[in-house]
Amino acid sequence: MKLETGFDFVTLENGLSVLGEAQPQARSVAVGYFVRTGARDEGPLEGGLSHFLEHMAFKGDARVDALELNRRFDALGASVNAFTGEEVTAYHAATLPEHAPELLELLTGLLRPALRPEDFEMEKSVILEEIEMYDDMPESRLFDLLRPQFYGGHPLGNSVLGSRSSVAALTPQAMLEYHTRRYSPNNVVLAFAGKYDWEALLEQVRSLTSSWTPQTVGCTHPAFVSRSSVHIVPDESLSRALMGMMFPGFSSADPQRLASSVLAEILGGENGRLHWALLDTGLADEASFSHQDGDGLGHFEGFLSCDLERAAQCLEIYDRVLEQIVREGVTEAELRRAKNKLAVGVALRDDTPYPRLFALGLEYLYTAQLVSTEQMVRQVRSVTQGEVNALLEEKPFAVRALTALGRVEALEGHFNVKD
Amino acid sequence: MWKGAGGLSARGLAEAQDDLGLQRGGGAGFEYTRLSANLLCDDLEAAFALYAKVLLEAHLHDNDLEPLLELSRQDLLSLEDSPPDKLFAELRQRFYSSGHRDPVQGTFQTLESLTPDIVRTLRTKHTPQGATLALAGTFDWKEVQRLAQKYFGGWSGPQVDLDPVTLEPQFSGHLEQDSHQTHLALQYAGVHPSSSDWYAFILAINVLSGNSSSRLFAEVREKRGLAYSVSASSELMGPLGFLSAYAGTTPERAEETLSVLRAEIETLYRGVNADELERSRISLLSSLIQSGESARARCGSLGRDYGWYGRTRTLEEVEKALRGVTLEQVNTFLEGHPFENPSILTLGKSAVSQGVAVMG
Repeated sequence: MKLETGFDFVTLENGLSVLGEAQPQARSVAVGYFVRTGARDEGPLEGGLSHFLEHMAFKGDARVDALELNRRFDALGASVNAFTGEEVTAYHAATLPEHAPELLELLTGLLRPALRPEDFEMEKSVILEEIEMYDDMPESRLFDLLRPQFYGGHPLGNSVLGSRSSVAALTPQAMLEYHTRRYSPNNVVLAFAGKYDWEALLEQVRSLTSSWTPQTVGCTHPAFVSRSSVHIVPDESLSRALMGMMFPGFSSADPQRLASSVLAEILGGENGRLHWALLDTGLADEASFSHQDGDGLGHFEGFLSCDLERAAQCLEIYDRVLEQIVREGVTEAELRRAKNKLAVGVALRDDTPYPRLFALGLEYLYTAQLVSTEQMVRQVRSVTQGEVNALLEEKPFAVRALTALGRVEALEGHFNVKD
Repeated sequence: MWKGAGGLSARGLAEAQDDLGLQRGGGAGFEYTRLSANLLCDDLEAAFALYAKVLLEAHLHDNDLEPLLELSRQDLLSLEDSPPDKLFAELRQRFYSSGHRDPVQGTFQTLESLTPDIVRTLRTKHTPQGATLALAGTFDWKEVQRLAQKYFGGWSGPQVDLDPVTLEPQFSGHLEQDSHQTHLALQYAGVHPSSSDWYAFILAINVLSGNSSSRLFAEVREKRGLAYSVSASSELMGPLGFLSAYAGTTPERAEETLSVLRAEIETLYRGVNADELERSRISLLSSLIQSGESARARCGSLGRDYGWYGRTRTLEEVEKALRGVTLEQVNTFLEGHPFENPSILTLGKSAVSQGVAVMG
């Protein structure tokens, strides 16, 4: 069906949602499957399974092996990739419009992988290498520690990659069980953006997924109570001090998520308060702040990198910036600039098929809404000073989980552990 | 330059930028400095006015330097904590004998001796002779010419010669660092875009790396599970081009990974087959067309083209050139450039023996 808003949308009988936004100026098409599953949906013995499955998808289905599958993707000139997060696993590619049917067939095959045991063992070693690679990235080590610290026993604290031991213990049987449980068509969104023939692709996807049968898919939302905590982690290999912070935020269904994004820009943007307090002065080399909204929960996230001996000073300044904005609110001028920056950013980003695909697919997955670029720009511009200040009046930064990483003798003693 | 210009403070410049919603990009590189902006069509004149201030009327006050030196020093320290970045910084130190060897941020020594006067002298190298203004997107060309004349017409200064790029002799070495993975880097003579072999070279590199079925991905990752990250790409410096390759793996598998990496590059120089070449070509053509959809990507290409060729290439011209390269041309090019004596640098807990090349 062609919706008045300019979107194509249909839910197939098996529950698969298919949506698209045609872009008249486009010369390519971007296609993506967005599966509502990730680390938060893993059981205690399944650490890293969602991500491992995403890797195994590229090992081929019952008909083709990995090398042949790769050759076929490449023969279409398709830039294909995938990612796994806490809540979403996505498979995506872009190609020229004339190759869309072949690309759709290959991508659809990724969602029904063969899971051959020999491929499983080979890919396990690749994933163990990936874990080692991220362990060589200090910021990644920091947030791997911070996330479970903030989320406690809540599944949103689960690690996407898993640990060496959890991944080593995974089996093809466990993966098959997880796949059956999570990759049900009613838990999946297929999206198109760019130049495409809606009717033809729809007919094709009906046929390709005719054997997919829906079943009840759950997502647990256990109660979550955030608590303040400070965790100083010795890391003798580091020459810098790194600090990560998480604070309670807002879910994707919460109307305050927009005000949260604007607030995050006012604090952590290029022209944000943290920039002027810490970067413009040369005290720290990174000081960022953002808001992540998720399914049922959300959080603010802060990051600070500086010299070891300045760790306490920089953290104090960082805290002071947050305290001040809570105390005084935001000004009309900074609000106007932040909104303008975000709104123009959205408009410029969504101009081409690939970025548009992600905005479209993820927004639908989280909110069940089809939101045009113009609507998104209007929504950002509609945020008022009153809304942001009302959010600040709720004292959003009163609870903070903090992890500090660095040489311990330099960090200990500098920190006044008040929590 | 962004610390204050044309009577506006750093904050004033940032506010003017946000009033337009302008998305700022660019920065200093090894050979040129780029100021870029992504903006709405209606704001073109305001953006010209803002960038003319930054480019032509930067204040360069004495007391602006200290915080920036601090940032650069901290940037250099951060390199120490990122093994792949450190590896490539150290590789450049050993690969180039000219100033191109130093990080863009400088070195701890050069930062120590940098003064406001030195910065102001360096600033005189920003002259219109050698500067390019590129635009892509929706605009009126006559209006662009008027704005360029209005805001940059008074800019003057002599042509500045660039320092030549010179190389150290081939080397191999290891840097000891207590990292989780052993990181492997290899660099070898390649081709520059100004060469008639350029398209053959990038088509060949794409057979090696860049696609799902490329040889390095297939041999190192898919068939052997040796690494998550393995890649090869072209690297350019001045009039020279290189082939640069990287892999990260656990220490006990570093030996085998380096052997397979070397063997695959060596095998590439013995030729590619017709199917591989076609896949490589289709992927480059597809990327080309997709890059043409993005005004920002197109603008970057135009600027680079002008630097390399003294003119710009249309998408159609590049497409025609890529389509025109034959299998014979690629293989003749590869045969003429046997893979000998690459420079290799590794970083990790223990040294990797460099000499053994095991054929896969």
